[in-house]
Amino acid sequence: MSERPDEKATRDTTEERLGDRRVKLSKHWSYNLRSDPKRLPFVLARYKFAARLGSKGRSVLELGCSEGVGALILAEQATHYTGLDLDPDAIARAKENWTEERFTFHLDDFLGSDHGTFDTVVSLDVIEHIDADADDRFFDAIVRHLEPKGMAIVGTPNVTSARYASPLSQAGHVNMFSAERLATRMRENFVNVFSFGMNDEVMHTGYSPMCHYIFAVGCTKRGE
Amino acid sequence: MSDETDAGGSDRWHDVRAMMDATPGVAFEHQIADWLRQSPRRMLFAMSYYKFAAKMVGAGRCVLDIGCGEGLGTWLMAVECGEAKGIDLDTDAVASAQRNWANDPRISFECGDAFELADRRWDAVIDFDGIEHIHPEQADSYLAKIAGLLAPEGVVVIGTPNITSRPHASKRADAGNVNLYSGERLETALKQLFDHVFVFSANDEVVHTGSWLMAHYFLALACGKKA
Repeated sequence: MSERPDEKATRDTTEERLGDRRVKLSKHWSYNLRSDPKRLPFVLARYKFAARLGSKGRSVLELGCSEGVGALILAEQATHYTGLDLDPDAIARAKENWTEERFTFHLDDFLGSDHGTFDTVVSLDVIEHIDADADDRFFDAIVRHLEPKGMAIVGTPNVTSARYASPLSQAGHVNMFSAERLATRMRENFVNVFSFGMNDEVMHTGYSPMCHYIFAVGCTKRGE
Repeated sequence: MSDETDAGGSDRWHDVRAMMDATPGVAFEHQIADWLRQSPRRMLFAMSYYKFAAKMVGAGRCVLDIGCGEGLGTWLMAVECGEAKGIDLDTDAVASAQRNWANDPRISFECGDAFELADRRWDAVIDFDGIEHIHPEQADSYLAKIAGLLAPEGVVVIGTPNITSRPHASKRADAGNVNLYSGERLETALKQLFDHVFVFSANDEVVHTGSWLMAHYFLALACGKKA
């Protein structure tokens, strides 16, 4: 079928706008898309949820940003976005793909670092990879990077979902949380903590042991 | 089905019935009876918003429910959070609430003005379908008075219909809605009183974080009361 003139005009405009701004994924996300493409909406839904709660008009720091798959959603309404990750390949990709001024990426494992303070700290799918005896340092890193009245959004797969995880996921997940344990740890650091669950891309407040993924949102640092 | 299995099933149901028969009955009047007869979905939506509020407030908290009506939602808050008090200006509604629920130590009701309750500060104050009936020039002070009832670390949940849903409201509902909010206006009003404000969207029983423009209803969660 031949292309209608208006369709061709749309395509030309899109190509003109896009220029050579192609997006090239790292091995990690290339693997994810090839092996389980439905993972993409699940992960993006987590970012959209975090962005709706904590990004508008705020400076956002992401601990464990990988190649910046969530950076666009988190940065959309933020004053600035900073992403930290310990994977050199991921950070290199992030810097190549997201070049605008509103993005900053640093190669850093963030457990001992100090990049200043932010209004919101987001960390998704990170804490389950940190040994339980070191997870104090994870919460310290969140608190250290937050303004006194800041907000932290932490997401991780529910411990109850571990038995259904892929062997690859299981190998990396050394510190799984229940909703209660996550909320308890967050309450040690924040005055108000709100828990949410997610199954696939759907956010809800249903029975926590049956949530596939869990969030805790902490507001206002303790002792401030 | 053999007679034997049938008899077994009937016995089991009899045991279940015996357990249920021990609980006092519930009788709805006024608004809830009206909902059930005219628009039963309204009860589903209202209770889903109460459940959301209960999950945000958490367990082991004392909750004040302003405009509690017949107290069905207040009961949910009492069960989930541990303690709840409902207050309403409508004498008949409060009498119905007391008949149904007030024999439980976790819950109490009062007929009167919430802002004259000076005896304590609450872990959580919830107010559904209240603010849209307050005249716009008094709305900010109404919200400030709600904040005034809170303990310093307390949380507030405000539920109100979206102004964009107005063309779809029934004439009867719309007549009383003198102060409808957009998501932006609700957020701005609450941010003057609280450090943290989250305006969730709701459509029917689903609470979500989608576009405010298409939300039927808002559930605003706020904490970090400003000094």
